[in-house]
Amino acid sequence: MTMTEAHAIKTKYLNGNGKFVVDNGNADMTGSTGSSFHIPPPAASRMKGGSANTKRRTVQAISKSIFVDNRNINTSSTIKSQNDKNNNKATTTAVSSNTFWKSENTNYFKFTFYKIVLAILFFMFGIFRYGQLQYNKSKLKILDLLYNPSNTPQLIRQDVVKLNKIPSRLAAILEVKPIGDVGGGLKGILNDASELVSWTISAGVKHLSLYDYDGVLQKNTDELRNAIYEHLSIYYGPANVPNFAIRIPHFNKVLYNKKGQGDIKSKVAIEVSLLSNRDGRETIVDLTRTMAELCSNKELNVDDITVDLVDTELKQLVGQEPDLLLYFGPSLDLQGYPPWHIRLTEFFWEEDNNQVTYSVFIRGLKQYAGCKVNVGK
Amino acid sequence: MIASVKRLVRGPLIRSTNYTIESSTHLFLYVFNQLHIVFMRIVPQSIRVWWQKFLQDIFIAILKVGPIPEHVSFIMDGNRRYAKSNNLPLKKGHEAGGFTLLTLVYICKKMGVKCVSAYAFSIENFNRSEEEVQTLMTLFNAKLEEFANRAQDYKDPLYGSKLRIIGDKRLLTPETRNKLKEVERLTQDGKDFTFYVCFPYTSRNDIQHAIYKNSKEYTEKKIKLNDINLNKFSEKMYLDEFSQKCDILIRTSGHRRLSDYMLWQSHQNSTIEFVPTLWPDFTFTQMCLIFFRWSFFTTIQMYNNDEGTSQYPWKTFMPNIPFMNKNHYEPLESLADPPVSVSILG
Repeated sequence: MTMTEAHAIKTKYLNGNGKFVVDNGNADMTGSTGSSFHIPPPAASRMKGGSANTKRRTVQAISKSIFVDNRNINTSSTIKSQNDKNNNKATTTAVSSNTFWKSENTNYFKFTFYKIVLAILFFMFGIFRYGQLQYNKSKLKILDLLYNPSNTPQLIRQDVVKLNKIPSRLAAILEVKPIGDVGGGLKGILNDASELVSWTISAGVKHLSLYDYDGVLQKNTDELRNAIYEHLSIYYGPANVPNFAIRIPHFNKVLYNKKGQGDIKSKVAIEVSLLSNRDGRETIVDLTRTMAELCSNKELNVDDITVDLVDTELKQLVGQEPDLLLYFGPSLDLQGYPPWHIRLTEFFWEEDNNQVTYSVFIRGLKQYAGCKVNVGK
Repeated sequence: MIASVKRLVRGPLIRSTNYTIESSTHLFLYVFNQLHIVFMRIVPQSIRVWWQKFLQDIFIAILKVGPIPEHVSFIMDGNRRYAKSNNLPLKKGHEAGGFTLLTLVYICKKMGVKCVSAYAFSIENFNRSEEEVQTLMTLFNAKLEEFANRAQDYKDPLYGSKLRIIGDKRLLTPETRNKLKEVERLTQDGKDFTFYVCFPYTSRNDIQHAIYKNSKEYTEKKIKLNDINLNKFSEKMYLDEFSQKCDILIRTSGHRRLSDYMLWQSHQNSTIEFVPTLWPDFTFTQMCLIFFRWSFFTTIQMYNNDEGTSQYPWKTFMPNIPFMNKNHYEPLESLADPPVSVSILG
């Protein structure tokens, strides 16, 4: 269910020559469940997935955890056992049940007692956490009222002018939400993306990278271009919509403005690059393969592989490193954002926020204005 | 009594001036901390120490029965700011940081964490003043020797841990390199716990090193091209079997960035915690609360993921109903024949 399967699916796009073929039959990736192959970190997964989110279920999980012995079952091994469930299901259960009784310092009653105490602590934390959730939610609502762009670029610019610096490159992680949710489905993510583009243009930032795990935006570029065009015409009027360029590093494609308007050679107000999980670890591994082949063909010296060389290659393949990364989810989850490119990137997210709102955007810019970067010093 | 009241009144309760309250979690921590400090100032020393130890042991024992992270990582930021805010020389700040690290490593080991890694020195840190780099090196050597000695002493809680120093060692002087090798050799038999010290390390360097190693082995015909894939790639990285994932990454002193550390390990499904405290002020309580939070959410996540698998003993006794199992699909032909279809038109 994890990397391997995602890998298997992604390799479908891989042609023999290392060139990538767009598979049109796979447009149903924007299904009801959103990112299907991504396992979020524990705190983030709590807020996702409708049925996993109820109070009743939490209570069930905690009370049943008393009966689970996870001293020998670490999280990674459970994920592993999910991967090859059929192969060594028997062995994993055997190991855990053996050690449960035979471990030297196991005192069964002591163990059960601590388990119950832990469950009680969990309950208390759960109640505290519920209060915290409500507090954070109301805080976010107030912030939303305070910062409201009202589709007016002047207001956004006014907010930004107060800051002493803005990032030159901005990145954002977007996700496809379940279709039933507010702002869910393909429509939702397109709307979020185009809103973000409008804010970024109005704030005066020239580069924006939009990341989504499954690459839904990459597959629906026409719809995205139309959506951005519509949003920009709401902000700036249909007569003078700013030019924008959409770059997909993975397919090495650049698109300008709305479909059918052709290439516009005049200055673009913003360059939007679309990234997906494919640009992360897998690109680095592909690069390794290419370099290994070049080395064995004596076209490249092994000792020439330096950080600088890898950096230039990855800059070409994926793009520049962003200065600020916005995440519009409840708790920080980088979702496999290209690892090479988050070296000094500032992260910003709001606790328990689940929507792409202007308040998060402007507060992120504010945090960036206040931060001090000192490499090594 | 009067003396204890005097002690209470004297000075600000929180030592560090950089403590900021950003969210309700921090508020909770702050209140907890304040109460604890007040309590600690009232009671006499002997009871204080006993009470602290008792609390720690109990809390560790409780946390131990829940899910435990496998790989915990620290970015130790804020040593110099700590020294500055307390009017101490820089060296004292670093020393305090080293002390905190060893304490926390000991607690992690006790809790059953398999691997702890810490960002001791970045390659970029060579840009600092010569004097500071020098003091850092000496301090570092001393701390490593202390750790190695303790890891060999069977009475010590750190006994049986393995120390690995990772990073681009070409940047060090030969003497230091030999010394590090010696320390590593002393502790190489440790099995149940590994402590990685990242000393001149950057994550980009780590990734580049893995690319280099893979390419080199391919040119020497040791591996095939198919062996360079997602899973095998990270085996070539510095952190051996722990390179795939870091469960909890803790960065102190409030900066919300990774600063070229554990990029590969923490950019998917790992919890990253940014704590506003400076590193020497980072205490057992704070770390345990982070672990507790992680443990809470992991319990729920595991329940949601593993429902219906072997985790829950009673599930094995449940009958396996075919159409309740979503992984099971029947072909159309295997369905029972429908009744005869008759049209009303005759």
